Amino acid sequence: MTDLLLSQIRAGQETQFGTDEYVVNLGPQHPSTHGVLRLVVRLDGETVKETTPVLGYLHRSIEKICENRTYPQCITYTDRVDYVSAMSVNYAFAQAVEKLMGIEVPVRAQWLRMIMVELQRIASHLLWMGSFAGDLGALTPLLYGMRERERIIDLFEMTCGQRLTYNYIRIGGVMIDILPEFVPKCRAFLDYFEDRIDEYEGLLTYNPIFLERTKGVGVITPEVGINCGVTGPALRGSGVSCDVRKKQPYLFYDQVKFEEALGQDGDCWSRYRVRMDELTQSVSIIRQCLDRLEPGPIEAKMPPVLKAPAGGEVYSRIESSRGEMGVYLVGDGTAKPWKAKFRCASFNNVYPLDQLTRGWKLADIMAVLGSMDMIVPEVDR
Amino acid sequence: MTLDELKAKIEERFKDSILTAVLSAQKELIVTVKPEAYHEMAVSLRDEEGLAFQHLSCLTAVDYPKENKITLVDHLWSYRHGHQMTLKLDLPRDNARVRSVEDVWKSANWLEREVFDLYGVTFEGHPDLRRIMMPEDYKKHPLRKDFSDDGFIVKPN
Amino acid sequence: MGEKIVGMAAALLHGLYGFLHLSALAPVLDTVVEAVVMFAFVAVFVMFLVWMERKVSAHMQSRIGPNRVGPLGLLQTLADAIKLTIKEDVKPVKRDKVPYFIAPIVAFVATFMGLVVIPFDKGVVVQDLNVGILYVIAITGFTVVAILTAGWSSNNKYALLGGFRSAAQIVSYEIPLVMSLVPVIMVTGTLSLKSIVDYQAQAGYWFVLPQLMAFLIFLTSATAEANRAPFDIPEAESELIGGFHTEYSGVKFAMFFLGEYIAMVVSASVATAVFLGGWLAPPFLGFLHLPGFVWFVLKILFMIYLIMAFRWTFPRLRVDQLMDFGWKVLIPLSIINILVTGFVILKGL
Repeated sequence: MTDLLLSQIRAGQETQFGTDEYVVNLGPQHPSTHGVLRLVVRLDGETVKETTPVLGYLHRSIEKICENRTYPQCITYTDRVDYVSAMSVNYAFAQAVEKLMGIEVPVRAQWLRMIMVELQRIASHLLWMGSFAGDLGALTPLLYGMRERERIIDLFEMTCGQRLTYNYIRIGGVMIDILPEFVPKCRAFLDYFEDRIDEYEGLLTYNPIFLERTKGVGVITPEVGINCGVTGPALRGSGVSCDVRKKQPYLFYDQVKFEEALGQDGDCWSRYRVRMDELTQSVSIIRQCLDRLEPGPIEAKMPPVLKAPAGGEVYSRIESSRGEMGVYLVGDGTAKPWKAKFRCASFNNVYPLDQLTRGWKLADIMAVLGSMDMIVPEVDR
Repeated sequence: MTLDELKAKIEERFKDSILTAVLSAQKELIVTVKPEAYHEMAVSLRDEEGLAFQHLSCLTAVDYPKENKITLVDHLWSYRHGHQMTLKLDLPRDNARVRSVEDVWKSANWLEREVFDLYGVTFEGHPDLRRIMMPEDYKKHPLRKDFSDDGFIVKPN
Repeated sequence: MGEKIVGMAAALLHGLYGFLHLSALAPVLDTVVEAVVMFAFVAVFVMFLVWMERKVSAHMQSRIGPNRVGPLGLLQTLADAIKLTIKEDVKPVKRDKVPYFIAPIVAFVATFMGLVVIPFDKGVVVQDLNVGILYVIAITGFTVVAILTAGWSSNNKYALLGGFRSAAQIVSYEIPLVMSLVPVIMVTGTLSLKSIVDYQAQAGYWFVLPQLMAFLIFLTSATAEANRAPFDIPEAESELIGGFHTEYSGVKFAMFFLGEYIAMVVSASVATAVFLGGWLAPPFLGFLHLPGFVWFVLKILFMIYLIMAFRWTFPRLRVDQLMDFGWKVLIPLSIINILVTGFVILKGL
C-alpha cells in the first residue's frame, strides 16, 4: 500500500498530495476594497501567493479634463480626486496655480485654509479609523468616527454650504469668509473632540484581537517604503520623517508648533498609531490657527482671467490626509493648463501591496490595504 | 545646500549627460538630460551621497505635438538633504522609447505604466509594461494632445 | 408552575383527541403539536432576538436602531421576514442543484432539533433524553455539513472558502465545547440536562461558581460554534462578502439566518441549564415567585446579550489565529480543568 502511494507521488511532476492554487477576484465590487479597486489574488488555501491590483475602474481622466478647463474651473474637479479629503486637494491645486502665477495670498485666507485642511485631516482620519476597524471585523468604531466627523462636516457646511465636495479653497484665497460663530463652534468641537480620542483608543488601540491582527502584519521597512514611493502616515509608521509640512513648509506650518507623529515598526499597528497621534496634533494646530486668526481680506487681487506664463511649470507638494499630494502644472500662456498632473499618495501606497501580503493570509490583505488608507478615486483619478 | 549649489554640483558631476540645467521662476531646479544617459544618471542621483534622491515623487510626461516631442518629467526628492529637482528628457513623438528606471525606484513601476498607457511611451526593461488605467485591449493614448475618440473630440488648444 | 400548565394543556389536548375520536393517534399528534408549539415559540423568540441585536448594536454605536415599524420597532423583523419570503430567489446558474437546495434546510433543522432536549422549566421539555448533552452537541454539529454543502454547491470561491473555514472552525471548537461540559458531567454523573438542573437545585449552588473556567471556555466555543464575531470567519463580510451564504437569497438565506440565531439560543440554553441553574430562581430573588420559565428565558437573554456584546466590540480573528486559539489555548485549558475536577472528585474534597 505504501509503495503504491509512493509510486503515485513519483509518477506526477509534483506530489499527488500537493495543493492546487486558485485565483480569487477581490473586487471591483467588494466590501473591503473601498470602492472599485480590483485585486486578483492567487491563493493556496488561505495563504496568499500573489496579489495583483488591477486599477482603472474609476478612471475619469481628471487630468485630461483639466487640460480643457480654465484654472478656476479645475478646482471643482480637484474635489473629486479625493472626495474624503476634498479640502486638501483643493488647496494642493490652488497652491500650485498660485506658485505658477506668482499670486500673493492674504494672511487671513492662509490661516483659514490651514484650519480647513487640518479639520479635513481629522475628518478623513476618523473615516479611515472606522473603515480600517471595519476591515478587521469591528463595526462599532465606524459609527464612533462618523459621529465626530459629522460635526466637522457641519462646520464645513456652515462655511461653504457643502458637505462632501467643498470647492472652498480657491485660487488666490478662499470662497467666502467664515461666519462669526464659526470660531466658538470650532473651539467647542475641539474641546469635545479631545476626550473622544481617548474613547477610540479605549475601544481599539490595545484590544488584544486588534493587536493580534495588526502587530507585525504588513511591515514596510524604511528602505522599501521610500523606494516604492510610499508617503504620509504609511511611511511615518516606519519611522521615516517625511511630513511635507515639516520638510517643505507651506501655508504657515513653520509658524505653528506641532510634532511629526512617527511610528517604529512599520506594521499596520504603527500606521494606526501615527494617524491617531495626528488627530491630537491637528487639534493643536487648529487651536493655534484660531488664536492667530485676524480680520483681513480673504482673496488676492487677481486679473479677471488667470493666465499662466508660457513655458512656466511648477511642481508643488502638500501633505494631504493620505500622504504626499503633488500637483504638476505646465502653463502655455492661455487660461487653461497645458498639463495638469496629480501625484496622489494612494496610488503609490497601494503599489507595495503584493510585496507586503505575499505569504500572509487572505484576511491580512484587508488589514494591510486598510492600514494604507487607500482611496480609489485617488488611485485611478 | 542651496539650489544654486545643487545646480552647480549637478552641472559639474553630469557634464556629459545633461543638456541644460535651469532654475525656474518658481525656484525649481529643472535639468534636461540626454535620453541615452537617463538611466545611468538616475542611479547616480539616487546613490551618491551629496545627491541622495531616494524618493521619486512623480513621473509623468507632457505632450508637445508642435515640436513633435514628448517630454518625460521626473520629480525627485531627497529625504536626507531635503532638496527637490526635476529631471526632464525629450523623446520623439512617433517613437518614444526610453530605458525604464523601475530598477532604480520601484515607485516608477506603476508611474511608468501610467505614462505608457496614457502617452504611449515605451519603457525598455520594465518588467510588467501593461496598460494600467485603460482597458487592456484599448488602442489609443488618451493624454496625447491629438487624442480623439468616437464622438468625443478634443482639439489641442 | 410550568409543569402545571403543561399538564393542563396535555389534558385539554387529550380531551380534544377523544372528542375527535383520534385517541389512537395520540403519540403522533402529541409530537406534531409539540413541534408546532416549539416552532412558534422559536420563531417569535428569534424575531425578538433579531430586534434585540439591532437595538443592542444601536445602543453600543450611539444610534437609535429600528423605531418605525410597530412600537419601538418591534415589528421590524416581521417586516424583514415578509420581505425575505416574497423577494426573488436568485440562484447561480452553475450551482449544484440538490445540495444547494438542501443545505439551508439542514442548517435550520439541525439547530432546531437541538431544542428538543432543552428543559425550559421543571417538567417542560419536549423529550428528556438521558444523553441530552451528547444529543445537542451531535445534532448541532450537523450545521457544519450544511455550511460545507452550501459553500461547495454555490459554485462560488468566496462561498467555498467560507465553507472550508467553517469546517475547520467547527471541528476545532467542538472539542473544547464538549470538554468544557465534561467536568460538570463528572460531578453530576448524568448527561441529561434536566437532571443537571435538578442536581444544582439540590446542591444549592450553580456550576458557574466551581466551574467558572469551564463556563468561560464554553462561552467562547459556543460563540465560535454559532459563527458569531469575533469568530465569524466563515461569513467574514470584509473578506468573503457573505462567506457560505453569499449566493443565497430570499427564504433560503432566511433559513441560514434563522439557523444562526437558533444555534445561539441552543448554546445559551445549554449554558443556562448546565452552568446557570436552568429554571431556578437566582439567589435572593426567589421571593419574586416568577415561573421557572421566565427565569430560564431571562438567563438565555443574558447569555445572548453577552454574545451580542462580543460581536459589536471585537475585531475578527484571522483564520490561523482562530485555530491557534482553539488548539493551543482552549483545549489545554479544558484538559487541565478536567484533570483538576477529577482530582477533586477522587480526593472527595
